[in-house]
Amino acid sequence: MKRPQVMIGAVIFLVALLIPVFLRNDYFLQVIFRLFLFASLGLAWNLVGGYAGQLSLGHAAYFGVGAYGLALLSPSISPLPAIVAGVVLAMISALIIGSVSFRLRGPYFCLATIAFTEVLRLIAKNLPNVTGGDVGTPVPSLFPRNTMVSFYYACVGLTIVAFALSYWVERSRFGYYLMAIREDEDTALSVGVNTARVKLWALLLSAAISALAGALYASLFLFIVPDQMFGVEVSVEIAILPMLGGAGTLLGPLVGSLVLETASEVFKNIFKEAHLLIYGVLVVLVVLFLPEGIVGTLMRKLSWFKSAPPTPFASTPSPGPVEESKRVPLPQPTSE
Amino acid sequence: MALLEIKNVSKRFGGLKAVSDVSMSIETGEIAFIVGPNGAGKTTLFNLITGVHQADAGQILFDGHDITRLSPDRAAKLGIGRTFQIVKPLRNLTVLENTMLGAFLHTSSPAVAEREAAKVLQFLGMTKAMHLPARGMGLPMMKRLEIARALATKPKLILLDEVVAGLPTSEALKLADLLKRLPEWGIAAIGGVEHVMQVVMKIADLVVVLDHGVKIAEGKPQDVVHRPEVIEAYLGPKYKELLKK
Repeated sequence: MKRPQVMIGAVIFLVALLIPVFLRNDYFLQVIFRLFLFASLGLAWNLVGGYAGQLSLGHAAYFGVGAYGLALLSPSISPLPAIVAGVVLAMISALIIGSVSFRLRGPYFCLATIAFTEVLRLIAKNLPNVTGGDVGTPVPSLFPRNTMVSFYYACVGLTIVAFALSYWVERSRFGYYLMAIREDEDTALSVGVNTARVKLWALLLSAAISALAGALYASLFLFIVPDQMFGVEVSVEIAILPMLGGAGTLLGPLVGSLVLETASEVFKNIFKEAHLLIYGVLVVLVVLFLPEGIVGTLMRKLSWFKSAPPTPFASTPSPGPVEESKRVPLPQPTSE
Repeated sequence: MALLEIKNVSKRFGGLKAVSDVSMSIETGEIAFIVGPNGAGKTTLFNLITGVHQADAGQILFDGHDITRLSPDRAAKLGIGRTFQIVKPLRNLTVLENTMLGAFLHTSSPAVAEREAAKVLQFLGMTKAMHLPARGMGLPMMKRLEIARALATKPKLILLDEVVAGLPTSEALKLADLLKRLPEWGIAAIGGVEHVMQVVMKIADLVVVLDHGVKIAEGKPQDVVHRPEVIEAYLGPKYKELLKK
């Protein structure tokens, strides 16, 4: 089930890496840049929201912190250390949100992510001396020459890293623990999983990738404002793309971004102002008819076609070991 | 020294005394059953042992550690496995993956976890169902899966909360045969049972009877079931009078 997803992912990345060789249209590359940017953000979100089932509607926080980290720190330290600092700051944000809300069950984590992002947005808006306030702040360009192609490759590279990381997570004990937490947290606890800590690690990884994406995005556009970086729309888009593609699947975030970013770009050109309406209808249709997302639904259908019909096991428990039990003399401790 | 020692443990939820002043102990390789009518405090006692709830008073010792205030994951790491009365499988994962989750307590390698899980599943006669998803399985399989997941953690003590409840008698007795073999693995077990007494009589070394959170009897199964206070708890005072005659 996982192998075909890796293959499809590899093909998508290969095609993406070859595109600039044949096509050097900046508009076109920027559209695909955005597509992969949100794919990497979706893959990051998927670690927390997909595998671990912890709905985050505040990933713009890490995205924005990564961007503002680069923008505000690069004058004093050079851009690369500033990116690292942004990543660290985003992880500290994740630590704050996670260590408080992951001990609780229910909607608290989701609410905390929304609230925290709002707080960051308001801070960015209201500290004009530091962040430039609503006017915004300039960001240094990471690739002064060959701008669009370099950004394009950097973004595809980041997505490949995020994809590889997700692949590793899926096959590791850490991934099993995340899925166990999604399915039933009590069960995870009962087999010795420190669920709060496992969730926190997932969020830290997720925040780091999101911050890198934020820095890339900011650096391409050279100027950022609070509403654009910390806006609710960004958080929602980061969550919705992987959900539609298939939350908790390796390929889901990539497919979701591919389908919806392409669709929204096409709609923008055809329907002009009405494109958001069409986009909304599309989202509603997918949620109604493909609740497990595109990849999730395909995975179920395909495995159902491939495998033999399940054996009726429940009514016929195998008798083997039960019969054997007669031979066993039990060590019976004599208790008073 | 006893493997698990519960000393005068109490727990109340608001005005309800769920468990009051209960003491018991169990040795390695022993199978004990906590018996009592619905609401007697069996599940609460299990939740106190595994750290899901914190005791208001008393002390719980396990294998030389004071576990009274331990969190559930720490209790599991010390070697206490448990099953849930209301089964809690990971529905979208397969039977094997569910069991591997337990095995991951001692290894970080999925390959090793898979081997260990397969062994446990073979012991429980679930090899055929290994690659099926946990959702949509019948209750007998669900109950076995609960045991499989707990056994895969290689516990020293396993708590089986109503593990035979709702099963057909034949299946319950088959399961009892399997549970009887737990001491082979060096595992002690405490079962909680409301009324499937055939299983208790068959495999218990020790029976503790709870009623409204109070321990009313303790001893060998054959003795305990004839005690008047036990009969009163289950059938009412009328039957206690009948017994005296």
